[in-house]
Amino acid sequence: MNAPLSAAAAAALAASEASLEALEHEAIAILWETFGAFERPALLCSFGKDSLVLLHLARKAAQPGRLPLPVLHVDTGHNFPEVIAFRDDLVHTFGLDLRVALVEESIQRGTVRLAHADESRNRHQSVTLLEAVARHRFDALLGGARRDEEKARAKERVFSHRDRFGQWQPRLQRPEFWDLWNTRHGTGEHFRVFPLSNWTELDIWRYIEREGIALPPIYYAHRRAVVERNGRLVPITPFTPPAAGERVLERSVRFRTVGDATCTCPVESTASTAGEIVAETLTATVSERGATRMDDQASETAMERRKREGYF
Amino acid sequence: MQAVNTPSLPDAEGPSAPLTFITCGSVDDGKSTLIGRLLYDSRALMADQLAGLASSAFAGTATDGFDLSRATDGLEAEREQGITIDVAWRYFATPRRKFVIADTPGHAQYTRNMVTGASHAQAAVLLVDVTKLDLDAPEVILLEQTRRHAALVRLLGLPHVLVAINKMDAVNFDRAVFERVRDAFAVLAGVLGLPDWLALPVSALTGDGVTCQSEHMTWFDGPTLLQALESLAGGEISAAPVSDVRAEAPAWLPVQWSLRDSDIDGARWYCGRLTEGTLRVGEPIRALPTGSGAPTATVVALRVAGHPSAQAQAGDAVAVRLDQPLDIARGDWLTTAAAAQLGQRLDATLAWLDAAALVPGRPVLLRHGTRWVMACVERVTARLDLAQAAWSVDHQPIAANDIAAVHIEAAEPLPLGTSVRHARGRFLLIDPHTHATLAAGVVGQPFGDTLASAERVRREWAG
Repeated sequence: MNAPLSAAAAAALAASEASLEALEHEAIAILWETFGAFERPALLCSFGKDSLVLLHLARKAAQPGRLPLPVLHVDTGHNFPEVIAFRDDLVHTFGLDLRVALVEESIQRGTVRLAHADESRNRHQSVTLLEAVARHRFDALLGGARRDEEKARAKERVFSHRDRFGQWQPRLQRPEFWDLWNTRHGTGEHFRVFPLSNWTELDIWRYIEREGIALPPIYYAHRRAVVERNGRLVPITPFTPPAAGERVLERSVRFRTVGDATCTCPVESTASTAGEIVAETLTATVSERGATRMDDQASETAMERRKREGYF
Repeated sequence: MQAVNTPSLPDAEGPSAPLTFITCGSVDDGKSTLIGRLLYDSRALMADQLAGLASSAFAGTATDGFDLSRATDGLEAEREQGITIDVAWRYFATPRRKFVIADTPGHAQYTRNMVTGASHAQAAVLLVDVTKLDLDAPEVILLEQTRRHAALVRLLGLPHVLVAINKMDAVNFDRAVFERVRDAFAVLAGVLGLPDWLALPVSALTGDGVTCQSEHMTWFDGPTLLQALESLAGGEISAAPVSDVRAEAPAWLPVQWSLRDSDIDGARWYCGRLTEGTLRVGEPIRALPTGSGAPTATVVALRVAGHPSAQAQAGDAVAVRLDQPLDIARGDWLTTAAAAQLGQRLDATLAWLDAAALVPGRPVLLRHGTRWVMACVERVTARLDLAQAAWSVDHQPIAANDIAAVHIEAAEPLPLGTSVRHARGRFLLIDPHTHATLAAGVVGQPFGDTLASAERVRREWAG
């Protein structure tokens, strides 16, 4: 059900509307630059909303031809089954060239060592990702990260250089003037490219609504077993069972972000369409990752440290 | 008189096009606090983000228990040192307009990051800290970083400058202080040729003059900073400011990529972002620099952001199909211009940003549009002396963060624009071995009058 928007929310919506066209043109130009300037680019996709918006834009940019690059999914093995089912459908429908990099294989190889069997594999994705970059010799990875998500991401370039060890060096970022991107790099180095850098959560949902982009169903309101933990709703999954003494509740929820199942929380909501989510986003009082991510809460520098290690 | 110069004002009603602006100025002039204030007062900080500002160990400039200066410090090193190292990008909206803020560092050492932010912006908020100036001197002397940032804003061709004369609370909101600092800036603006600027008295810490009219400065009847930002002409695109959007201007398109049509055998589409003019189906077109003769093909179809369209305008991501196959590749320009000058030698102005000094004669890579060519800075004609705000021909090396007038020779002819206001008037210099970005370059010399007057001064001294 749609509550009428306040005057301020309606104005914010109109202001977002005015920028959506320009954001789309900017993103497509960044995609073309990646297609044109690199030899072996790939599109990094978690099959969450931001990477699906990016995939939609990449397919638009390739019109009336074929998507000129593979899609890389780093799979922690701790997934929401709805997302994997959605992925497999989409690969079939769009005829995507999907490459899956499994954290499980890194564990088998011994390059990822878990502290204990139940440890979150979120941070370990960086190792698996960099192994995939080396194996496929990718020289550019497109990603759906946005600057408004998180304070370390707010510092990112659009074309962000990674050294031979896949590291981000935040103090030594190359300057980035106009749209004259410096995509030059040495052997074994690569770039992370972020066409959605200047998009906000509101822009993403407005665009999903406008373009009718399909998402995994868990982005919309559904009933789910959760426990309340540190002010957040933690979903009950095979990887995240309730702790002793915790009461399992069933709530109407949706996911604002979808990542590794061990560190992603839903929010209470009855929004069942992109339009209703736009309305909720306009009145949200907690940031997207603040409401939903356990991995960012560990310390003020959690994201920066992960990014330095090669995280997306 | 509050304003020396009034920016182009507003269409009054409805939301305006988005505006990207930078905050710049010297170290500790209050840039980050100002942004924190704008975000806080426009309710753009969410509950969890505010909690982060309250819980942090450092508490210098607190408002309602929150340290607003830390809202944009995203890196561990920035928090440790209490400084801004790299640009932080923030997004907020008021009922009038959506804003993108680039909070840029004040330290000279990180000028490259200030230029990064400025090259994407349509307006600059230049902060001046009144407590750092000698107000008893016969003439108020602005800090060197204030001068450098003003010069860079001019070099990059930002259309609007708002001079936020900050920390007015520390001088009892004294009108005379504001006017003395404003008048000092007016002299600098005149020398640099800043076209459109407005001075505003503010206190980022207390909020006076930022988002609400100050009851301590009733002598000032100009807009608040936020009102001024809401009313600036904008409408250009954040990542690639284009200036010549007039429909009748010839179209210029740097080819980024080309693709093979899945349905039409042998058909190719050339893709890029239109930087100038309007492109229509049916128009004759030619490719530069390779096909510098007469028009050689006709546009038979266009796609704008993936959708078939009869025309495209500046700023659009456009794919072009021609009636005949031409030898066109990434690096070429497509244009409808009847006559275009190709140039291999250019007079240009550089913001030199590499840690090592410029070595004339050393080969470098030059990026113009989507083309990379070898080039060399043949000679330095002058260095901008920031202390004097005048060109200097003292033959000192061009060091990091200097602005220099140079002469460049490129290995191939390029369709050069005449100023920074065209995409064809901008270029990069890159180290061919380390791939480090050395300089941002602008064709021509935006401080024309300054150079002339500096030479005149020298002649007078010599005479």
